[in-house]
Amino acid sequence: MKATPVRAHRWALKTGMAALSVLALTTVAACGGSNDGSSGSSGAADKADLTWSFWVAGAEDQAAWQKVADQAHTDHAGITVKLQGAPWDSYWSKIGTTLASGKAPCIIGMQSLRMASYANAMVPLDDLMKKYGMKAEDFDKPIMDGLKADGKQIAIPYDSGPMVIFYNKDMFKAAGVPDPKPGWTMDEFKAAAKKLTAAGKTGLVTTPGDLGTMSWVRTMTGAEPLADGKLNLTDSKFEQGFSQYADFVKTDKIAPQVPGGNPDFETQQFTGGKAAMQLNGPWSLIDTKGKVKFNLGIAPIPAGPDGSKTYTAGSGFGIARSCKTPDAAFQAIMSMTTEKPLTTLAEAGRAYPSRTAAHPAWFTAAKIDGAKETIDYASEHSVPLVTSKNWVQVADLLNRFGTQALNGEIPPDQALKTIQDQAGAGS
Amino acid sequence: MTTNTTTVAPPGAPEGAPRAGRRPALRRDGRYASIFLAPSLGGLALFTLFPTAMALGISLFDWPVFGTRSFLGFGNYSHLLHDPVFRRVVLNTVLFVVLYVPLNVVVSLGLAVWLGPQIKGRQVFRVLFFIPVMTPMVANVMVWRLLFQPGGLIDGGLQSWFGIDAPNFLGSSNWAMPAIVAMSIWQGFGYNFLVFSAAIDQVPQSQLESAQIDGAGPLQRFRYITWPMITPSMFFATTMTLITSFQVFAQPFILTQGGPGVATQTIVMYVYNQGWQFLTMGLASAAGWVLFVIIMGITAIQFFGQKRWVNYDV
Repeated sequence: MKATPVRAHRWALKTGMAALSVLALTTVAACGGSNDGSSGSSGAADKADLTWSFWVAGAEDQAAWQKVADQAHTDHAGITVKLQGAPWDSYWSKIGTTLASGKAPCIIGMQSLRMASYANAMVPLDDLMKKYGMKAEDFDKPIMDGLKADGKQIAIPYDSGPMVIFYNKDMFKAAGVPDPKPGWTMDEFKAAAKKLTAAGKTGLVTTPGDLGTMSWVRTMTGAEPLADGKLNLTDSKFEQGFSQYADFVKTDKIAPQVPGGNPDFETQQFTGGKAAMQLNGPWSLIDTKGKVKFNLGIAPIPAGPDGSKTYTAGSGFGIARSCKTPDAAFQAIMSMTTEKPLTTLAEAGRAYPSRTAAHPAWFTAAKIDGAKETIDYASEHSVPLVTSKNWVQVADLLNRFGTQALNGEIPPDQALKTIQDQAGAGS
Repeated sequence: MTTNTTTVAPPGAPEGAPRAGRRPALRRDGRYASIFLAPSLGGLALFTLFPTAMALGISLFDWPVFGTRSFLGFGNYSHLLHDPVFRRVVLNTVLFVVLYVPLNVVVSLGLAVWLGPQIKGRQVFRVLFFIPVMTPMVANVMVWRLLFQPGGLIDGGLQSWFGIDAPNFLGSSNWAMPAIVAMSIWQGFGYNFLVFSAAIDQVPQSQLESAQIDGAGPLQRFRYITWPMITPSMFFATTMTLITSFQVFAQPFILTQGGPGVATQTIVMYVYNQGWQFLTMGLASAAGWVLFVIIMGITAIQFFGQKRWVNYDV
């Protein structure tokens, strides 16, 4: 008993230190903020040991991506690429400070939605593309454009894809709703969703994620989130589109209330057979097909007054400015995005390839009727989602206040105004 | 270590005169002490004091991870003061503390008293109640998310048994914070339960029995015998719980990601988001310092206030 107060003192001290460690973490990160430093690589254009930082989901994923990296060594005997994998969330927590410290690996994985934040720390690739004869037209145009910043190519894509509707064919059949076809309208979509909403199940499931929300708004009114590179969410057309989107949950009740903070909710509801439709990207299609116990179909996003309009996103590989062997790194990236590794990835059902020549392998692996027709149609009607430098903050705010707007807690225009006020200055 | 016979002044030495025998010994002791303390102090200085001071410095700058840094003076603090989101974030943190700390103490103390030495099989309960403390927080939170979300266990159960919908616990501004507090209490009460349980075990049975013979009821026995004897443990538990609850992060981060809106965003989450997600280190450091000052202030008040109610004489 007598020892307890002493322990309390010690614990209090320790915990005081824990409070300090919050600051310490912040500071350690900031300490790395100088712009000099060296890359972990060495060698000339055709000889270098490179490190590639990328997000991986586990040991199996790591092994699959290391095979992609090995393509560089196969093509160039003097180049080796070692994969440094990290889970998605921690990858993005670290990559900013690593790039800023000038000690980043030469090759960096980059997602189109986040690229604007990191473009300044990466090498523009246009000259290297010219020098080594890489043709932009061999890739899907929307994702090549999506990985540009200020007109300069920042990364070379390995995957791509327009947002499309995934639907449960069995639920459609049971409700007597015909399968949707390219060109179906918003009215047809709503009528189908209403018919499918019954017995504790809903026609749609949606959460205010950035890519999904922006795609719905674009097809409804054509509004885009940025104007002249600045956040423009309080534009009346955007407000109108967002309000109609929020109505899916709020007034039409064709989608369930949104829980806070569960990014997997949409997928859980859809794969669990509790919702008949969700908006998703082709990168998830084969994985979703493996999880569900029903027939899976895909359709383009329903057409608003000006037709079906959606957004494309994807990811690729770029080179850190601190890399001392950008030529070798670029040659490695060229190898990693050739038809062979992308076809291998496609056959394994991983990602919808950015290279058009690798598409057939992916459609063969997907084995979904009408997939090619739908994705081709959606690609034609898509543009890359161009984001602001502080897009991570915008997406975070959209998730928070969008949830309130969809659930009817606050008016949609108030949600957009709050996001604009909070993030507008930093865009 | 310092009790040394040479420290006694020689007889007849004038008061305040130099004590010839003491100084070398003290110096020697000081030298040894410095050697032993050096690794610990070095670590403290390098990993705590320096970063803390550095964070204070950074908090005075606009310090983006990419781009130009500029001196702002107290600009970041002024921004925090006028930012409705940060004010709400502070309020959320205080609300969590105000709900969580008393409920945690009441639940853990109540169970510790109930599962007193007279209860058979109490060790089994002790282990059971401590399991959530040992289980990784992420796993706990994932399970609670399945309980709370629309179509989850609570909602599903209410729909099938009574045909009514449960509230959208994690998506409603009114329900999200209580849901996080409920989950946190379940997860955290086991620790204080063990502390109180050990303290109650130390209360002499003879005193309780003689009080019973003298006609004292259970409430009187608790109020006048058990309570004074467990106040040091109570002080320890409340201080610790208060400090850790001000630093709450994992539960709202995983359960609601601070939403809906900013209804469950806490100060540490704000620091994390500003620093690691939005890469604005200056603002993150300023918010970190605000939290540091709040925690130090409240801990100091607790230490000063303990004289009034903590009993060390038993």
